[in-house]
Amino acid sequence: MRPRAAVAAGGAIALVVTLGACSENTGEGTTVDNTRQQTGVIATDPKDSRGPAAEVAGAQKGGTFTIIRETPISHLDPQRTYSFAGLMANPLFARYLTTWKDDGKGGLVLVGDLAETPGTNVNSDCKVWEFKIKDGVKFEDGSPITSKEIAYGIARSFDPDLAGGPTYLQEWLADSPEFDTKWDFKKNKTSLPPGLTAPDAKTLRFEFAKPRCDLPFAVSLPTTAPLKADKDTGVNLDQRPFSSGPYKVAKNQAGVQLTLDRNPNWDASTDPVRHQYPDQFVWSFGPTADAANNRVIADNGADQSAIAFNYVPSSLVARVAQDQALKSRTILSPTPSANQLVINNQRVKDLKIRQALNYAIDREGLIKAVGGQTVAQPMTTLMPSSTIGFKAFDAYPAGANGDVDKAKELLGGQTPELVLGVADNTSEQAMAIQLKSNLERAGFKITVRNIPDDAKLDEVKKKDNPWDLYIGNWAADWPSGASILPVLYDGRTIKAEGNSNQSYLNDPAINAEFDRILTLEPAKQGPEWAKLDERIMKEQAPVVPLYVDVAYAVHGSKAGGVFISSVFGYPSFVNAHVKQ
Amino acid sequence: MVRFLVKRLLSAALTLFAVSVFSFLMFFALPRDPVTGMCPKNCNPERLERVRQELGLRDPLITQYAGYMKGIVTGRDLGSAQGGRCDAPCLGWSYVTNEAVSDTIARVLPVTLSIVIPAAILWLLLGVGLGMVSALRRGTWLDRLAIGFSLTGASLQLYFVGAVLLLVFVYNLRLLPVPSYTSLFDNPVKWASGLVLAWVALAFLYSAIYARLSRAQMLETLSEDFVRTARAKGLTKPKVYGRHALRAAITPVVTIAGLDVGGALGGTVITETTFGIQGLGRTAVDAVRAGDLPTIMATVLIAAVFVVLANVLVDLLYAAIDPRVRLR
Repeated sequence: MRPRAAVAAGGAIALVVTLGACSENTGEGTTVDNTRQQTGVIATDPKDSRGPAAEVAGAQKGGTFTIIRETPISHLDPQRTYSFAGLMANPLFARYLTTWKDDGKGGLVLVGDLAETPGTNVNSDCKVWEFKIKDGVKFEDGSPITSKEIAYGIARSFDPDLAGGPTYLQEWLADSPEFDTKWDFKKNKTSLPPGLTAPDAKTLRFEFAKPRCDLPFAVSLPTTAPLKADKDTGVNLDQRPFSSGPYKVAKNQAGVQLTLDRNPNWDASTDPVRHQYPDQFVWSFGPTADAANNRVIADNGADQSAIAFNYVPSSLVARVAQDQALKSRTILSPTPSANQLVINNQRVKDLKIRQALNYAIDREGLIKAVGGQTVAQPMTTLMPSSTIGFKAFDAYPAGANGDVDKAKELLGGQTPELVLGVADNTSEQAMAIQLKSNLERAGFKITVRNIPDDAKLDEVKKKDNPWDLYIGNWAADWPSGASILPVLYDGRTIKAEGNSNQSYLNDPAINAEFDRILTLEPAKQGPEWAKLDERIMKEQAPVVPLYVDVAYAVHGSKAGGVFISSVFGYPSFVNAHVKQ
Repeated sequence: MVRFLVKRLLSAALTLFAVSVFSFLMFFALPRDPVTGMCPKNCNPERLERVRQELGLRDPLITQYAGYMKGIVTGRDLGSAQGGRCDAPCLGWSYVTNEAVSDTIARVLPVTLSIVIPAAILWLLLGVGLGMVSALRRGTWLDRLAIGFSLTGASLQLYFVGAVLLLVFVYNLRLLPVPSYTSLFDNPVKWASGLVLAWVALAFLYSAIYARLSRAQMLETLSEDFVRTARAKGLTKPKVYGRHALRAAITPVVTIAGLDVGGALGGTVITETTFGIQGLGRTAVDAVRAGDLPTIMATVLIAAVFVVLANVLVDLLYAAIDPRVRLR
């Protein structure tokens, strides 16, 4: 990350874009709204960060809200949380330095959560950041949350025993990916990692060797959840996290059920986003996606106030879509999770071939193959529409089904032979069949090679992997172009293995542009990322953008307030309530 | 008798030892690195290697196996990354569920026992009862009904029967709650109402096979000389059928029942999946899908223990049921 100017004081920096295709995200049916605007904002007025959160219309206190999910949440310990289920569960019992105020309709505001504001860029160089902690924030035992407990939470994330969570803060503070060798948590439990200080109970200070302008975003992840040192049970914290949020763990039967009760020491007046409507939240694990959705559709007893966390499976899509009675109980929303046909630019060096692939792609056919419009929505850009500063464009306009003639024209009579590596799972196998016939129609010869599902990600991240094409997916940790384009297309980061840049594009001019944009003020970065997105596609066509995943969820008749998070693309429960 | 028991138990121990060795070797043979489960994201090769060394995964295989077996017998210290001290029987640490595998097993085993034992009682009573009645009333409408029932049961699959039962009794008629497990000791009514559909589904399918088997065995036994002799001596029908014929006919049924119950206790995967109940079988399948090797090893070992114990029990039951069998 490169420097960008200090967050301006007073008011908010709003970045407004028009979205190409976003649905309603309110639990009010499945109508697609093509005119919605998405706003990404970093709040700077402390009022935005104060509680209480605005009341949800019609919401009342009481009842048990149930979330049914097939597999358990991999980690409940905030410092180890990185799965989507974990990221959606954590805000119920954990608070962070900053958080997203998400209206569920495209409006996002980054506000202070435990902090009074989303941070102060002390020297305007993004190297020193300071956060003032709110008064009145408490743990579940009623003890106050100070900067000391937040710092302790960040410090324990350096412990290699507690792996699994995001590592942005650790790497930035240690200025090394090998952060756990730079500072040993177990040997220094009474001190803090380099660069992290808590000069007084209200102040938390980060000092970095390099500018870290995305810090306000990075501290919205659960790494910054506070913890008292005497409540740290190491790896066992996963079974029973210590709450700072509106709910606390009442009972955790690992892999079966997680029950959360109200935390009486949570003070709504300090919290700008969360509510405490239901008496209890129950995460119920076990039923398959089919069983969970069938239960919620049946709308019996406790399932009336339940949601199936696993989206409507293909076997039930037609039934749900055609049942008018279910319209008011379904949520359909595009997510920020973007899928591409990644072109290995080290092997496919001819730009015309990469452009021909872009013209040849039959997105409509591909979307049908993966399950239709309730599973995927087409995209032609590198960044998903939920990104701050997004601008819609199509560098290779070929209609919904591709332009075979244009692709053939670019190939000039050649028949490029390309190897498509696909995971041996159902979804990618279905895509492989469609892609092969689709691309061969345009003059390519495609050989499909299977890769074991659990090894695929590691294999395509190897620089010298033997495939020309593979299916890639990227869901950024925050909706900024800085967490997408430089991560995926900066050629200077390419190493022997473990590459996020899986297209292996390395264009010095593009790399220089990354550096330039990262030095801009946050307000100016958004549109610049959008321009660069278009430039990369036009000049290099390193991938073929395919589609964004779509959330299609069904909930019971008494489950209210659920919306799809614009940041993570999964149901958010901060407004959830049981209709009385 | 004692000699037989000692021999069978030694043989059972040997079988379990072989299973433990094979399942332990599987840990290394599978194309899955246990450490990647611990650190799925943001782990570069250097960090992963350090973790492997800290966990002792670079020690010789024999050392690791000895440590694993010691853990089962006396418990062992797994290190801070794996929850510290792990009491016997220690089956390792799962990086997927983030708990000691013995805790997982302690939680899911009662679920499977609660499904299998009542279901087995049901299917044996129903299956053997139907088979016997059918044999004794051969050619009557009762026999035909029993044959039809067993044919239907034998030709259906649990995931179909289970789905139909759910649709009818839970979703449409709303007579029963969504299947779930509650401890028998906490709430017996909830325990039964949450599992009754699983019992019925299992009993329907299994009893079909037992009905056919029992009928065939009973018919064969009824045609034997000792039955004719007993009748000729003037014994009453209930005495002949109940005391003599049934005991002879039931021996093969006990063999099959032993294997079935032993296998089912190792995990009723389809039942648990169909009804969304997390028992041993579902846990095993989840572990396979997630590459959770310590849990896979534990479930394989436990399934083997049940099958081996069921076989020993069957051998003992032979002697009790059939006086012609002598244990040596």
